[in-house]
Amino acid sequence: MVGSRSPLLFVFLAIPILYLLALVAFPVAYNILMSLQDVTLGNITSFARPFVGLDNYREVLGDPDFRKVLLNSLLFVAANVIAQLGIGLAVALFFSQRFPGVHFLRGLLLAAWMLPALVVGALWKWLFATQYGVINFAIGSPVHWLADPSLSLASVTIANVWFGMPFSMILISAALTGIPLEPYEAAALDGAGPVQRFRYITLPALRPALLAVACLITIYTMRAFDLIFAMTGGGPLDSSNVLPLFSYQFTFQQFRFGIGAAIGTFAFFIVFAVALLYVHTLRREAVE
Amino acid sequence: MILARRRAPLLTLIAVAGVALYLFPIYWMFISGLKDSAEIFANPPSLFPRAPSLAAFQHVFARENVLRYLRNSLAIAVPVTLLTVAMGACGGYALSRLRSRLVDAALFAVLMLQVFPDALLATPMFIIFKFLGLLNTFAAVILATTSKTLAFALVILRPMFRQVPIELEEASLVDGCNRFQTFRRIVLPIMHIPLIVVGALSFVQAYGQFVYALTLLSRQELQPATVGIYSFVGAEYADWNRVMAFSSVFVVPILVLFLALQRRIVAGLTAGALK
Repeated sequence: MVGSRSPLLFVFLAIPILYLLALVAFPVAYNILMSLQDVTLGNITSFARPFVGLDNYREVLGDPDFRKVLLNSLLFVAANVIAQLGIGLAVALFFSQRFPGVHFLRGLLLAAWMLPALVVGALWKWLFATQYGVINFAIGSPVHWLADPSLSLASVTIANVWFGMPFSMILISAALTGIPLEPYEAAALDGAGPVQRFRYITLPALRPALLAVACLITIYTMRAFDLIFAMTGGGPLDSSNVLPLFSYQFTFQQFRFGIGAAIGTFAFFIVFAVALLYVHTLRREAVE
Repeated sequence: MILARRRAPLLTLIAVAGVALYLFPIYWMFISGLKDSAEIFANPPSLFPRAPSLAAFQHVFARENVLRYLRNSLAIAVPVTLLTVAMGACGGYALSRLRSRLVDAALFAVLMLQVFPDALLATPMFIIFKFLGLLNTFAAVILATTSKTLAFALVILRPMFRQVPIELEEASLVDGCNRFQTFRRIVLPIMHIPLIVVGALSFVQAYGQFVYALTLLSRQELQPATVGIYSFVGAEYADWNRVMAFSSVFVVPILVLFLALQRRIVAGLTAGALK
């Protein structure tokens, strides 16, 4: 390859990488540092802060609200993964048929995903409004979607599935078009019905892509902040709270920076583990 | 096959109905903005505004400084887009051409660095920009947001740069262009469509940026529209026709951009995320 060792390419590579190290890797490391310190409004900008070992983590783990929020986060992510994969796959299969306007109509669904998450949250807060909301009008009963602690997490989940599903569906669609046609033709000749073809050809061929998409959904939903912040603010009584929002509240509302940082570390570990799985899946797919 | 052809119009019909139902919330946003204060709280709600009124729009323009909020959103989103495309093009090109352990490590770093929730990086960002004296400046929000869009851009652009035939570059180098000239005159023009797609997606993300604007800008006159909308809906009671009018005005640029580039955006997303 001509000039593949060109110094220019290394400069080109260094610019974005250094940028990301400075403004992502450093903040992540700094956050972990803060989680080991006693950080107050007074010493927030200095480095000379007392180390308190794992005290912040001990306090977080002893807090029943944290356990509740951690469980909420896991439920929120799991429900999103299942719903977005399930609905996304069904919609992608529907759009894998041939009919006029198929590509345009499928792409149009992405309009939901293009909206700012905060606007989606505001919009769904209005749709879910108890008294004048269109959803309660449609079902004919005044359900307290956001004010009832036993429903609020489900409500923000529904909104987030609406928001994220089109993106998941588009990725699954792309994987579907990558499946070669020959096995289907052979199976049709052998008399396999559509269910059998799906079960024995489509699903196995899609498995690596579905795993990658599941990882992406996890990463994206672990990030959810704007949407929940706008819809419920994590309430009532933390019933719809998730880790990033919980951490934000400790940091920016109670100024308990060390606690906020320690909560953040738990979320970091989760996304980091899932990201490793994602990269591993992509690598394996690339090799095959 | 004949059967399939006869079913096709029916499938289109089902798809149109399904997509319309799915996107109903967006329709509801626009329609709610067109209702007056009495009709917005009508029970049952009207699915078409009985007496379409621009009162809510007039209110948000005249009283709520929508234009200032939009200007602030653009003052953040446009520089983020330019920075992301510039650095993304350099980095994506380098990642597609270099082959070494270092590049593998860099690619791994990029993939890992795109996953951290921004709400969790807000405190360190706050401290960094306080240290740099950039709190309450657009620069802080621009730099913080670019850290998010850049990783995404690199992931999408790398496979696209790989599709540029190396023979073209070799020919250009043989003709006496240096590496930078080759990049600028041969590679970038070929790549202009993927770069536009990445630019559009970065713009959309930056335009909707909320957390960093909330934490790095405390002066109201600098805040973008996301923070403005939040100040409406954060309260228990909200004038929903005004909130929806504000939101409608805010998302129009995004929806226009999306409709104009729909096919290319779909292609761009699928190229990056799974490769």
